[in-house]
Amino acid sequence: MTAYLRNSLTYVWAFLVVITVASWFIGRGHGAAYQLDAAITVGVLLIAALKAQLVIRYFMEVRFASRWLKRTAYGWNIALLSLLLLFYWLSL
Amino acid sequence: MTSAVDAVTAAGDIDAKKSPAFPGESSMWFFIIGDLLIFGVYFVAYMIYRGQNQALFLHSQQFLNQGIGATNTVVLLTSSLFVALGTQAARVGKSVDAYRLFGLAVVFGVLFPFLKMVEWIPKISIGITPGENLFFMYYYVMTGLHLCHVLLGLVILGFVMRNVRVSKERSHPPNIKFVETGAMYWHMVDLLWLVLFALFYLMR
Repeated sequence: MTAYLRNSLTYVWAFLVVITVASWFIGRGHGAAYQLDAAITVGVLLIAALKAQLVIRYFMEVRFASRWLKRTAYGWNIALLSLLLLFYWLSL
Repeated sequence: MTSAVDAVTAAGDIDAKKSPAFPGESSMWFFIIGDLLIFGVYFVAYMIYRGQNQALFLHSQQFLNQGIGATNTVVLLTSSLFVALGTQAARVGKSVDAYRLFGLAVVFGVLFPFLKMVEWIPKISIGITPGENLFFMYYYVMTGLHLCHVLLGLVILGFVMRNVRVSKERSHPPNIKFVETGAMYWHMVDLLWLVLFALFYLMR
């Protein structure tokens, strides 16, 4: 069973956990009232999009999939990130 | 079977040249893409409404438990890893290993709704319900909709495990298309949570 953990997917998972903790560190509350903060928002949204990309590419095996599926899946992630950042920016 | 075994390197990684054009049934991919689009619309709508009520959303966000949100993210990522490893094992006909790996995925998967209840019950008991304000309406509806996906995903993983168990008992390879289809659904559940975690718990 442990042989399965010597797998590139495990390294991807470890990186995903590290950047999850990093995003929590960036966005964590300190007991003080939450303030509008573009740096935190852009940081956590970029990390979320990177995590989504890794899950699509490696766990969902889209890296091996046909071109239409690659374009659709990666396109969804990029379009979502762009729209979220756009509407956040418009609200500032 | 030989070609399937050849498709896996010594480290257990699949070989790009010998993997399918897309994993699982194509109908599941249409469902996944449809679901991603629907959730995508919700995510963008949340951001638009948030922009119109910044102070309310920022204030309400402080009542969420970031620790449970982060723990649940790691829980789903870990469950997804075991599903991905289980899929690779099933692909090379290693039913016993696949069964164990999917079993571990279910153990982590079950933790998610449990932690969600640990998060929701104290809030509801002090009167923070979907009717509280627009933020909590979005929070309960979107995380609730996602929770329904988690519960359905656990049922699907149960069917995948049954398929793998039957193949183990009859000493024939698992129905890999079925295993991949269930696995893709579970990864989508993981994927949606990654965005929810950033939008509700972390952003400012």
